[in-house]
Amino acid sequence: MTSYRNGGFFNPAYHDTETLEIDRRASSKTHHTNPYDNQDPTWWGDRASNDDAIGRVPQGGWQEESWRGRENIPMDAISIRPRSPPRHHGPNHSISGMDSEYNQSRSIPLPSSSGNMTMRWRGIAMRRMSMFPDADHTQTAFTEDAIWNEMQNEQQNLLEELAALSTRDRIKAIRDLPMSFKEKKHIRKELELQSSRKSRQFTCLADCSEKLSLFSRKCGYHVKSAKQTLELWQGAMKSIGGKFGTSVLTYFVFLKWLLMFNIFSFLVNFGFVTIPLLVYKHTPNISQNVNNVPQNVTFRGLEILTGVGYFKYTVMYYGSYSNGALVGYNMQLAYFFTIAVYMVLCGISLIYSMSVNFKNNYVLADSASNSAWQLLCTWDFSVTNEKAVKQRRNNLCVQLKESLSETAQQERLTVSEKLKHYGIHFGCWLLSTSLAFGCAAGIYFLCKYEHKVLLQTTNTANWSLLDEAKTLLVPFVVSLINLVIPLFYSLFNKFEHYSTHRKQIYALLIRNVFLKMSILSVLCYYWMNKVPAKDPCWESTVGQSLYRLVLFDFLFLMLGSFFGEFLSNVIGTKLIPRMGVPEFDVARNVLELIYSQTLAWIGIYFSPLLPAMQILKFLILFYLKKVSLTHNCQPPRRSGRAAQMQTIFIFLLFFPFFVGALSIVAYTAWSLTPSEGCGPFRGLNNSFTAVDVWIDDLKNVTGSQWVIEIYSNVILSEIFYFLITLIILVIIYILWQVTNGRKELIRRLRQQIVNEGKDKSFLLERLQDLQKSLPNKTTKQKKQKGSMKQHSDDHSSGDQSNSNAMVQALLARQQLEEEEKRYSIGGVPVPSEMSNSSPLMQAMLARQLADQENEDQYPMRDENPSSSSALAQAMAARNRVEDEENNQYDVFNRSSAVTQAMQARRRAEDTDDDMGDLPHPVSNVMMQVMQARQQAQEDDRIQWMTAPPQNPGPSGSSALIQAMLARQEAQNEYDDGY
Amino acid sequence: TRKEILRLFYRYRDLAPQLVPLDYTNHPDVKLPYELIGSMPELKDNPFRQRIAEVFSEDGEGNMTLDDFLDMFSVLSEMAPRDLKAYYAFKIYDFNNDDFICKSDLEKTLNKLTRNELTEDEVRMVCEKVIDEADLDNDGRLSLEDFQHMIVRAPDFLSTFHIRI
Repeated sequence: MTSYRNGGFFNPAYHDTETLEIDRRASSKTHHTNPYDNQDPTWWGDRASNDDAIGRVPQGGWQEESWRGRENIPMDAISIRPRSPPRHHGPNHSISGMDSEYNQSRSIPLPSSSGNMTMRWRGIAMRRMSMFPDADHTQTAFTEDAIWNEMQNEQQNLLEELAALSTRDRIKAIRDLPMSFKEKKHIRKELELQSSRKSRQFTCLADCSEKLSLFSRKCGYHVKSAKQTLELWQGAMKSIGGKFGTSVLTYFVFLKWLLMFNIFSFLVNFGFVTIPLLVYKHTPNISQNVNNVPQNVTFRGLEILTGVGYFKYTVMYYGSYSNGALVGYNMQLAYFFTIAVYMVLCGISLIYSMSVNFKNNYVLADSASNSAWQLLCTWDFSVTNEKAVKQRRNNLCVQLKESLSETAQQERLTVSEKLKHYGIHFGCWLLSTSLAFGCAAGIYFLCKYEHKVLLQTTNTANWSLLDEAKTLLVPFVVSLINLVIPLFYSLFNKFEHYSTHRKQIYALLIRNVFLKMSILSVLCYYWMNKVPAKDPCWESTVGQSLYRLVLFDFLFLMLGSFFGEFLSNVIGTKLIPRMGVPEFDVARNVLELIYSQTLAWIGIYFSPLLPAMQILKFLILFYLKKVSLTHNCQPPRRSGRAAQMQTIFIFLLFFPFFVGALSIVAYTAWSLTPSEGCGPFRGLNNSFTAVDVWIDDLKNVTGSQWVIEIYSNVILSEIFYFLITLIILVIIYILWQVTNGRKELIRRLRQQIVNEGKDKSFLLERLQDLQKSLPNKTTKQKKQKGSMKQHSDDHSSGDQSNSNAMVQALLARQQLEEEEKRYSIGGVPVPSEMSNSSPLMQAMLARQLADQENEDQYPMRDENPSSSSALAQAMAARNRVEDEENNQYDVFNRSSAVTQAMQARRRAEDTDDDMGDLPHPVSNVMMQVMQARQQAQEDDRIQWMTAPPQNPGPSGSSALIQAMLARQEAQNEYDDGY
Repeated sequence: TRKEILRLFYRYRDLAPQLVPLDYTNHPDVKLPYELIGSMPELKDNPFRQRIAEVFSEDGEGNMTLDDFLDMFSVLSEMAPRDLKAYYAFKIYDFNNDDFICKSDLEKTLNKLTRNELTEDEVRMVCEKVIDEADLDNDGRLSLEDFQHMIVRAPDFLSTFHIRI
């Protein structure tokens, strides 16, 4: 393809075309053979014919203020340059991107639409912006036409590309386009037209499937909009986000998320376990079997707190569920499976959200770019409150100053200071761990004591109020510990000196988690091991204690938010202004939520309706926290990385807490003997036996052999689990290896980007140096030749020089296209700047050269051949670069090409010597160039047969340097030729 | 979705009930001036409100048609893909519309964010640091690619570049 196009450009007849109308006509004939060729000659050719509008039209429109004086940028005004050329070549670059993809989509499927998208939509946006030139109305009629033409072309390409995608991808791709609403609509309509045209040829089957997919999409759309209507607390969330920013909002999002878990759990439990029981209870003739409330138990009010007494005989607890098969309904199985399925679903959803969060927030995140992030990404666009905005500004200010001073000082700690820090850390850790252990031990003994006391009054039915109140002791102490100890921990944190804020938060989190875990594990140990031995209906007893814990936890949360936030607000504003208004501590609050959710998970086996309580609790908590937040708190001073914190919270919720709860429930179901006197599993060895019994029953039913087979061969066999574990381990290992490989790849690619950038800056510098030495000469020559200026030549010479520029630009673009293709063949969505930089460079150079040429074209007409020869040389050199990029992995070829370039340069230098003789050196150079080109083309051909290259970076740059030097040389020579 | 669009339309109309007709079937050519758009509660306190309006309006001066208005909120909504958001964020930060975030852009951003509370020296240092960190190809300014690359590594961006309606 390369050579073909080159042929086109080198065709001398092409350069001589005076009227571009011809050009256009010719191109419109070949519309579909090569969209690339037809649109660009018009574009650039128009530029040529309207000398004046050249500069303006492409850059007009959205960038009015930046196009000033673009046509005649003097050579030494380099400072402007780096900015202008990319804009100038923006359209080209996008076209090539489009085309390469377009061409490629015929042969191979798009490797990854998202990777390519970036390039494409950037170009489109630019085109859109430059669509309405508000420059020079006298001249725009023509150019506008050309632009319009080109736009049509591009849109066509886009449409075809989109049409190749599947419907879902297409919708996504359209959504991704950075266009206005109107244009998207237009494109969608066009696409529909196309597809309807196409689908008419299809069979009925395709039609049906089309309709089906449309229907399903519509359904999904309706579901989505329905979900939006049901979205809880939208307004509240908005106002919180507006006042306190996203990081505080995460707490409420988390709360809502947990609430959803509980609602689901409640619905499942209530629907499958409680409702059948209630229905069954009200069937009069069997009601004797059920544990009805004894006559002497009355509702006394304190039960709401303790959960004993009257509540014990309601459906709240495990104990009151019957064991018998109700009419066609097996209570045991329902109970077992409901809880099992709920737990499994919880686990899956946790793992899913954890992995998604992890992927988004951790794997891609990088802590390296801190201040850039602070400046460009932290601004919370959702903040709408004036005070909050002000505060945010101040905070940002302080943070930026801090980070500046940190970098300025970078203090070196002495050994003794370091030791001191470590000592303090160690002491704090020791203290906090021992505190946690102490609390756990205390709770254990307290539990024992409570049990002893309660056993003395054996008949629970006629407890005195005092006895009942005694049961409240343990939950009270536990909740108190949960409230007070974290405060101590944050106190410790003040003394400690952590290098980063993040480490501080993590330390605090770990300590708190440790505390809660130890408390919960002691309680569970007590429930699992001590209670079953002594209690006739131990599950209900455990359920009651969980009920009390949940309730007290709630009360203490309310108290905590009252004392912790309201009081400190009062103190901070009225008494000690130094303390200030308290911040909302997201980490502590979220941990409290996690703790209470764990209680609910543990309790689900013992008290199936505990989720109902939890729902109430969370609902009240939401409003309470919201009120407390808006009245008492200020936004957090440090805008931590909210998304990462959220990931950590989900992870914490999953790993110690959910897994712990799951294992406790599983242990209860598999290993503990259910109590004899009550509950659905009475009389069985353990709860799981219910499934055994069911399978045994199934044996009598014909046609259920497969269930039994599966059960005995899969569920009960160790080999199955062994194999599964093995397979999972192998998969994990493979994935781990893949991850490592990817990491390495990413590292290398990043390095490459950096290298590329270095090359670019080096080349720029080089260019500047060379150009600084140039202007003197050119001005002198201008003086000499100025008198010979001929007006009649202006037009044609301008034309020619512009066509040269055009050729240059086209070449550059071509190269870019090649690169792009290579990348998409490789299938790796490489960050596009890599592929950009060198072609951009090329394009820039080309433009510069063209400008220079332009300048020099005016004085002398007979310079044309020589200038074009210089250009040709440059082109050839660039061509070689291009080829080299194709075959750089082949060192041999490359070095030969390089030597070729060297030779060319040397010979050019030689020609420098015989200055006076103009035609000879020119032809010499031309010859040289042609040879080089041929050689390069041969190389090219050879290389095309082999595999596509992989590693364009370093060698390409060296070739680039070569090319530049060669071009520069040619330039010099040409200048000296005067 | 339909509901959101309707809600946005009512918001749009609320800004200027006398200008915007209820009936949009004939595609009337109505534009709200920037003063009205910028006075929305969602944008009122945003330091970048003028840039946002400029970037999303078709005429580049902050005067918006309904379509522009919808565009703006669809980009700033939760559903918008990351690349799209990054693209528009880039344009918002690119004050002089030259397709690069250069130092002067960064200084402007910083001044908008901090209300000129930093000294010139500090501003300069911060800008240098930002460019140093985010500029991958060492050309002394941030291109769209640099910016996107940075966005990918800053997961919070998706939640912060978001205006609830």
